[in-house]
Amino acid sequence: MSLDAVVGLRKGTLDLDVELRVASNGVVVLLGPNAAGKTTFLRALAGLVPLERGRIVLDGVVLDDPAAGVRMPTEKRPIGVVFQDYLLFPHLTVLENVAFGPRSSGFARAAARKRALAQLERVGLVDVAAEKPRALSGGQAQRVALARALATDPRLLLLDEPLAAMDAGARAELRRGLSRHLAAFPGMCLVITHDPIEAMTLGDRLVVLEAGRVVQAGTPEELSAHPRSRYVADLLGLNLYRGRAEQRSVVLENGRHLVVADPVPESGDVFAVISPRAVALHRVFPEGSPRNVWEGAVGDLDVIGNHVRAHVSGVLPIIAEVTPGAVASLHLDDGGPVFVAVKAVEIEVYEA
Amino acid sequence: MTTPGAGPPLGLRPVEVVRTAEGPPPRGGEAGKGLAVVAGDSLETGPRAEPAPWATPPEGAAPRLLRRGGGGAPFGFLPLAVVAVAFLTLPLLALLVRAPWRDLPGDLAAPGVLTALRLSLVCSLGALGLSLLFGVPLAWLLARVRFPGRNLVRALVLLPMVLPPVVGGVALLLAFGRHGLAGQWLDRAFGITLPFSTAGAMLAETFVAMPFLIITVEAGIRGMDRRYEDAAATLRAGPWTTFRRVTLPLIAPALAAGGALCWARALGEFGATITFAGNLPGTTQTMPLAVYLALENNTGAAITLSLVMLAISLAVLVGLRSRWFPSR
Repeated sequence: MSLDAVVGLRKGTLDLDVELRVASNGVVVLLGPNAAGKTTFLRALAGLVPLERGRIVLDGVVLDDPAAGVRMPTEKRPIGVVFQDYLLFPHLTVLENVAFGPRSSGFARAAARKRALAQLERVGLVDVAAEKPRALSGGQAQRVALARALATDPRLLLLDEPLAAMDAGARAELRRGLSRHLAAFPGMCLVITHDPIEAMTLGDRLVVLEAGRVVQAGTPEELSAHPRSRYVADLLGLNLYRGRAEQRSVVLENGRHLVVADPVPESGDVFAVISPRAVALHRVFPEGSPRNVWEGAVGDLDVIGNHVRAHVSGVLPIIAEVTPGAVASLHLDDGGPVFVAVKAVEIEVYEA
Repeated sequence: MTTPGAGPPLGLRPVEVVRTAEGPPPRGGEAGKGLAVVAGDSLETGPRAEPAPWATPPEGAAPRLLRRGGGGAPFGFLPLAVVAVAFLTLPLLALLVRAPWRDLPGDLAAPGVLTALRLSLVCSLGALGLSLLFGVPLAWLLARVRFPGRNLVRALVLLPMVLPPVVGGVALLLAFGRHGLAGQWLDRAFGITLPFSTAGAMLAETFVAMPFLIITVEAGIRGMDRRYEDAAATLRAGPWTTFRRVTLPLIAPALAAGGALCWARALGEFGATITFAGNLPGTTQTMPLAVYLALENNTGAAITLSLVMLAISLAVLVGLRSRWFPSR
């Protein structure tokens, strides 16, 4: 059970160059900002987009090899796809939709329907078997799409933003259901998402794609501990800076330097991470212990539960997390200049 | 959160202001009252004494009927439109008024009439069949495959739509006549002569009608969501299965419309038929040709046949109205 995919292609402004090797079953989550190439990569695996260079091998069988002139058409590949809009055939009932794969594989109509019913039972939707897709709710449609993809017994299951169309309320429950189904699936899964919670909970492994390239890959814990790109840092709600290590400080690209407490690597590129909770804001220059103090201007304020995230712009933009009381007493919603203070001990540094 | 009591003044709309941060209320306004000011509106907060200048129509404006959208019909449009309606409907009215309704059953039963009717149906349905068989694959290729010269091919296959039918007939003779480009080969190899045969009439009708099917079906295929075909492929469906079980059902409305249009055109074809297939009763004398002939000696039959074709045309129009004239 292995996937060895090297995908190189150009599509419009996207230049995709991705290498993905999965040696065991489980769920790989593909993460990244819009237009990073996630869907294109998925479609390339499915055979819906031709490779320009690279090679896709699934369980030892070559699916795509432009150099050797080999290209297995989509319908012969042992894959299943859950599309972003589900794409349930509107003119067929739910049962006929799910039975479509088995029938196309050669099963007789009765046998195909039996298999379809079994799948529908697994997702708990036998009672809507005779309905047309337009009568289904979003959550039901998603489960039917999953059942339809699984009915062909694929080796590789590809899901493109399976929960994107859900509203927040339904999403949590569906995510749990999806997690269960993916865990029960004997093959490999590749899930595309832009939701951090989905990524962290569904994935055994995370692969972060940005502008057609892999910027980071690892377990959710590894990513949380050491984000390597602004996208991941933003996802986790962290402040991330890149710079050069120099004795007890990190020199950033714009010339500013951060004083850090822990020893830094001798020299070379490093990342510095500051949690928004470690950032203090002052209206007057603070005379105190924090080693890193600089001036900025307060911009947007986001309320998240009982905390407020303040976006501070200036020479060194940063996000600070404070209380609503602090916002009130400092009149932060009026904007204006503030001083940012970060203790050296709160800055984590690791190799880039 | 609007001020209780007074209604919104003219031009200002009360809006609930959503704030993203708790904090002191906005300076210069009452807490909780949000009012969106539309650009250009006055900032008065009381009702106006007299109605705004734009609220009453100027003196002597045209009646309400024509000013629904706020602008009237351009000068002279109404009488011109009336003339157009009269011009287009008068002939139809005349047909209905002058029809020999009492003699209708007898006229319909006349030997030539039924033959022409049967022949018309056979040829037009045959033309439809041929158009479907050859036209749908072509429409699919034109819609899906980017081959060199595609635009040229499309223009050529649509040409018979605008070509004068008689010209079409002459061209058919030169292609399929006994000494035509393909015709001489057909004659020598198979002994088939197409001109002045029923098959020839069918061919002539196909020539003028197929483009209507092609253009409608191509548009339908272009307009469908191709991702359904992607989905079918991921579900192990090969190209033929995908076409049969997914594409066809999804373009069924376009196919039906194209088919109806094609059939109606084939049924009404005169110029190409009479030029290529001639006017032989029982063999190639379809209804339009029969009408033409009957005009000379049996006007009653001519009118009867015309009424039949008018009824068919109306049926097609009514059947396709939701497609051509979607109600808003």
